[in-house]
Amino acid sequence: MTLLDFARGPAIHWSLIIMVTGIIWRLLGVLVLTRGADLSRPRDAFGNFKGYRTVFSRAWPSGEFRTTTRYQTAMAYGFHLATLVVVIGIVPHIEFITSLTGASWPGLPNAFGVGAGIMALASLLALVARRVSKPGVYCSNWGDYFSWLVMAAPLVTGLMAFAHLGLRYETMLAIHILSAALLFAWFPFGKLMHAFWFIFSRAQSGVVYAHKGVRI
Amino acid sequence: MSSIAAPKRIFPTFDQVFQGFASQIGMLREMAPPPSLPESVRVRKAVATLIAETNADEAVWLESCIRCGQCTNACHYFQATGDTKYAPLRKMNLYRRVYQRELGPLRWWYRLVTSPVKLSDLEALQELVYDSCSECGRCTMVCPMGIDIASLVHHQRSALVAAELVPPELEALRMEQKHRGTVFGASAEVVRQLVDTIREQAGIEIPLDRDRAEVMVLSSAVDLMGNGQGLLATAKVMNHLGVDWTICSDGFESANFGLLSGDMALWRKQVGPIVAAAERIGAKTLVIAECGHAYPALRWNPMLKGGELPFEMMYMSEYLGRQAKAGRLRLTPIEGRLTYHDPCKTGRRGGAFEEPRALLEAMHADLVEMPANREFNWCCGGGAGIFLLERATRLRDESFRIKMQQVDATGAGTVVVSCASCRLNFEAGRQKNHWDKRVESLVELVADHLVDEPRTGSVMPIRGEAA
Repeated sequence: MTLLDFARGPAIHWSLIIMVTGIIWRLLGVLVLTRGADLSRPRDAFGNFKGYRTVFSRAWPSGEFRTTTRYQTAMAYGFHLATLVVVIGIVPHIEFITSLTGASWPGLPNAFGVGAGIMALASLLALVARRVSKPGVYCSNWGDYFSWLVMAAPLVTGLMAFAHLGLRYETMLAIHILSAALLFAWFPFGKLMHAFWFIFSRAQSGVVYAHKGVRI
Repeated sequence: MSSIAAPKRIFPTFDQVFQGFASQIGMLREMAPPPSLPESVRVRKAVATLIAETNADEAVWLESCIRCGQCTNACHYFQATGDTKYAPLRKMNLYRRVYQRELGPLRWWYRLVTSPVKLSDLEALQELVYDSCSECGRCTMVCPMGIDIASLVHHQRSALVAAELVPPELEALRMEQKHRGTVFGASAEVVRQLVDTIREQAGIEIPLDRDRAEVMVLSSAVDLMGNGQGLLATAKVMNHLGVDWTICSDGFESANFGLLSGDMALWRKQVGPIVAAAERIGAKTLVIAECGHAYPALRWNPMLKGGELPFEMMYMSEYLGRQAKAGRLRLTPIEGRLTYHDPCKTGRRGGAFEEPRALLEAMHADLVEMPANREFNWCCGGGAGIFLLERATRLRDESFRIKMQQVDATGAGTVVVSCASCRLNFEAGRQKNHWDKRVESLVELVADHLVDEPRTGSVMPIRGEAA
């Protein structure tokens, strides 16, 4: 079995199994806990439901904080959107998803994929540069930097494989797939889980404040 | 047009009241009892408290932080000092550690890679959850995950109650309220004496301990032990409204040092006599005095089945604002530009935004909002008991400068507050900075601008009118 065979076979498949199992384990481990009851009378009888708006409204900072959060917001949006384009827009990624699910769709031209990859990597670098330069604001721990590395690695190796840089193509491709496997396997254990938590966290706070008639 | 001034005073001015309280607060430090339990027991009780108070909501919030640092933009203590230890996201760290080790789905892993909580960790936590967090909730407004950090801080206050690590000033008052049922010595006898003084010297009747009344009004230790003008003003306004009201000597105190310190049992205990008195007299409305934290202590008390109570609870500004909207308050215009400070507990964390503004509008006030107002209002820096903490003086003073800038930007000569704690903190800041602003209480302002009529300022018949 070559390194590429290992990466395409057991590595990526086991990493996906770990990811799915881990996500379910971590979500259930939290969500099965009891919910604290707020027995006070809500300001409006059906006002609490308005709190769920926060799941969507918090996608963008309020005017009060637009200036102070501008850098973080721009870079975070740049990273997330560009990464999404890379993950679901590049032909080899679509083929991989098709092999798993059967679903298929047309891919983007290579130039778009490369552009999105570079944008994702640049914004990720911009985010970590700020994190490093302002330690007092970010209060980072090792998990933040490890998650950053695990996220950056597939972008770097993918771009290198596409551009035939570094090691020979098959090896570089194998390393790229292995880095993606590491990302999948790490996903449930670190901060990347915010991809799920944000929905619950925003909804909870939205409802807590809506109970009192406050829109956050 | 009338100006903001009281014609005749029988009580000290508020700057004198502030001076009096400042000297009393100094003595509180000496009165706090020392810890009595062994270290290991204190730590175990603190951890057990956090475990017991952690539900799915808290777990989700503790899981959600991505350390993006945005909350630092919103925190007055961080913005004023730039000190990383005051970053709101750091105020969750110890709680998260306990959660990850004891409750989280990956606890088997975190027990291997993290150390158990020690007493020194809890001692370090004291400054983060008491001195440098007024639980104002502004950080939640910017957090992209929407984490309610203030509520997580409050759970940690509960843990520190269990660990006997409440700051001495709060601990002294917690103990006084727990064992004697008073705050700063404000007993039922003090209420009776003050009611007599107001009747005799101001000629204003306060219906005390009526068997039945539509409206039950609370007072607070600040008014009872220093600022008698507050109770006098309340009486003037209630009498002007002509409602059937009373104060109950067995349930009058708005202040709740159970809530402020994090002692959930005391919080619940203090609410009991108030609810019992309101039910006994058949009150339809319970009016909470201008004491910001009393609003969440009563109106938003999560342990109290509000929907089943036979009465409605309202903050003073809320009650008076509704009266103004209904046209029941006849007020003279107010002179000069002013701005309104939303107390965190009644504003962002209470939702009473419109009523105080309606009240000011009823006085045709030239109200100019601060650049950050309503749910984005900056805390004055003295909330959640921080005004009482000597050790937090620097944090209060530095964060108050943000508030001064906000007020200065309005061009107003007067800032109106509706919370005794905010008012004391504003007064402290005003005096220290030689600030050329007036700080006014909303209810006292209303009392000073009532349209004079025969019934005002005299013993008046009860009309039995519902609030």
